[in-house]
Amino acid sequence: MAEPINVRDLAPGTRIVLVDGGEAEIVDNPADGVWVFARYLSSPRDPALAGQEEMIFAQDVAAIRE
Amino acid sequence: MMSDRVERLLLTQEIADFLYAEAELLDERRYEEWLALLADDIRYWMPMRRNVKFGEDGREFTREKSDINWFDEGKETLARRVKQIRTGIHWAEEPRSRLSHMVSNVQVLGAEPSYAAPEEVSVKCRFLIYRNRVETETDIFVGKREDLLRRAGEGWMVARRKIILDQNVLLSKNLTFFI
Amino acid sequence: MNGTKGYHPGLVDLDSGEISREIFVNADIYAEEQERVFARAWLHVGHESQIPKPGDYFVSSMGEESVILTRDRTGAIHVFLNSCRHRGMKVCRYDEGSTTVFTCPYHGWSYGTDGRLVGVPYFREAYHAKLDKEKRGLVEVAQLCNYKGSIWANWDKAAPSFQEYLGDFTRYLDLQLDGWDGREAQAELLGGVQKWLVPCNWKFPAENFSGDTYHNISHRSVDLAGIGPSGRSRRDLGERDISRKLHVCIPDRGHQTILYLMPPGEPTPPAYQNAPIVQEYFAHCEAEKRRRRGDYGRFVGAPGEVFPNTALLSRQPRTMAVWHPRGPNQTEVWRWFFVDRDAPSEVKEFLRDYYIRYSGPAGMTEQDDMENWNYAHKASQGVIARRHPYSYEQGMGTAVQDFEWQGLKVPGDVIDITEVQSSEQPMRNLYRRWSEFMAADSWADLATWRRNDRTAAE
Repeated sequence: MAEPINVRDLAPGTRIVLVDGGEAEIVDNPADGVWVFARYLSSPRDPALAGQEEMIFAQDVAAIRE
Repeated sequence: MMSDRVERLLLTQEIADFLYAEAELLDERRYEEWLALLADDIRYWMPMRRNVKFGEDGREFTREKSDINWFDEGKETLARRVKQIRTGIHWAEEPRSRLSHMVSNVQVLGAEPSYAAPEEVSVKCRFLIYRNRVETETDIFVGKREDLLRRAGEGWMVARRKIILDQNVLLSKNLTFFI
Repeated sequence: MNGTKGYHPGLVDLDSGEISREIFVNADIYAEEQERVFARAWLHVGHESQIPKPGDYFVSSMGEESVILTRDRTGAIHVFLNSCRHRGMKVCRYDEGSTTVFTCPYHGWSYGTDGRLVGVPYFREAYHAKLDKEKRGLVEVAQLCNYKGSIWANWDKAAPSFQEYLGDFTRYLDLQLDGWDGREAQAELLGGVQKWLVPCNWKFPAENFSGDTYHNISHRSVDLAGIGPSGRSRRDLGERDISRKLHVCIPDRGHQTILYLMPPGEPTPPAYQNAPIVQEYFAHCEAEKRRRRGDYGRFVGAPGEVFPNTALLSRQPRTMAVWHPRGPNQTEVWRWFFVDRDAPSEVKEFLRDYYIRYSGPAGMTEQDDMENWNYAHKASQGVIARRHPYSYEQGMGTAVQDFEWQGLKVPGDVIDITEVQSSEQPMRNLYRRWSEFMAADSWADLATWRRNDRTAAE
């Protein structure tokens, strides 16, 4: 299993890979360590999500896209 | 090189001795002698402490000389506090509290102009104050002190004292004693 | 002796001036008053200057409960119960700050600053997207009032508006929140809210601030030490020599205060002589106040109490306090400190120094009060002590309803205590209202003035 990520530290602009394979870009971070506000770049689960802003749960973040 | 370290060691012990002697005066209720150890321009400051978010430590303490604090005063007010206790009718201290000031972790942080001939010394320590009064009333106050001491002849005077109490809501009904 | 477990009529006997010690020490009565008093009365939460910008919050308390005072993204002010709707964890454990969401650390439910539930972990998976988020926002107070910057809230939607609740007491809260020069809403909060614990029932400080002029003797030590602004006594109170000193009680509301009523046309005696800038500032403000307010500019405030647990002190040291109940035997005091927003910085600094040495747990005056409340409470807990009610007999039957002095009428039940020094009308007024809250089933019974107004109309 990958190292856990502290989403509290993710700055706006950071791209993240989600557990379901989707990708998103952080737009705002409430620094609560639980949620980030992000804009979907893609989502295999629901392609219509692309471009939408959602709150993303920390446990749904799989990796930071370098 | 060796002599520098020795000077520093000697100074640290001298300062610790001063702080212990000061605590002794307070615990023995020799307040006038204690007041005599305070520089006329002393600032005696004890901020309040907030719970703040990680990374916002700058807002943790109330500010000296602009916010409300637990204490933020000079020698005149401290002398009035002594005068109040000495009336014998300051009911929050009558009957008087039994106090023990424990001072530890004494660290001399700097000496000006030098460790060999210090005129001003900044020193940090921990305090643990045990207070018991009337019958069963007991309080324990723990925190840090940051003092600026100034050479006064053979001894020292307190020129500045910052008191950091490790509490948010004050767990006691009053602060009738000196720290 | 208290025959029943909790509150019952007779504990507050205004005909004899006797009030049972049970109301201070009895745990069942304490539990009842959380429901009957604190869940229905208007309570002071904070000041709008503590949350100037959208997203700002200040964690406060209403009765025993933690609440969040916050300003949402649109600038609207809210007060929410600080407890997650899922399992109750506090959603905010910081004292104040700024945020976009309040996120529960336990399971991660997250709420906007408008209280709406916006984040639910595994909403789609665990809840099958069926949880009704609209129903699970933070619990919001039923009513909120921003009165000249001071924020008040009420859990009971049947309660009257805050201003109706204040009734004729509004003028005394104005003295607290308006400028010393009589301009509206000029109060500015100094940074830092003092919070500390006192081992006594909350009603001891509440009745003290209702207007206890009888306990002056307990402060003799501070008068001797001389902490007043001019270096003597504990206050600069020249108006005492030329004014009438009144106890003013609003009978159907339970609010009461001390009031100094100045003669018309006579300037306020000088104060703060050791600090010329301060002296000049107050002299200027006094003159302006008379000019702006006319006859009501003759009012000088003093300790008072908005029912049930908010203390006012509109003259120096100018503070408001809330006596938060923390069990029958403990009170958590929160004290806010005020200055005039436009006062010169020298004046603010001068007053701040004075406030700190006067008020709060390190305050040389308030220390002795807390000692008295502590041991009065302690010595009233025993079964024998409880058989012997406290005496509130001063000035019984001497209050007048149409008090007037030199052309100015003062509404309410008034006792002129200039010569008699003291009365216990304010405490009787407080406990009369308290017993009404304890007995009434709803606000329909508590808004007695509406009935009286109807009767008068008929």
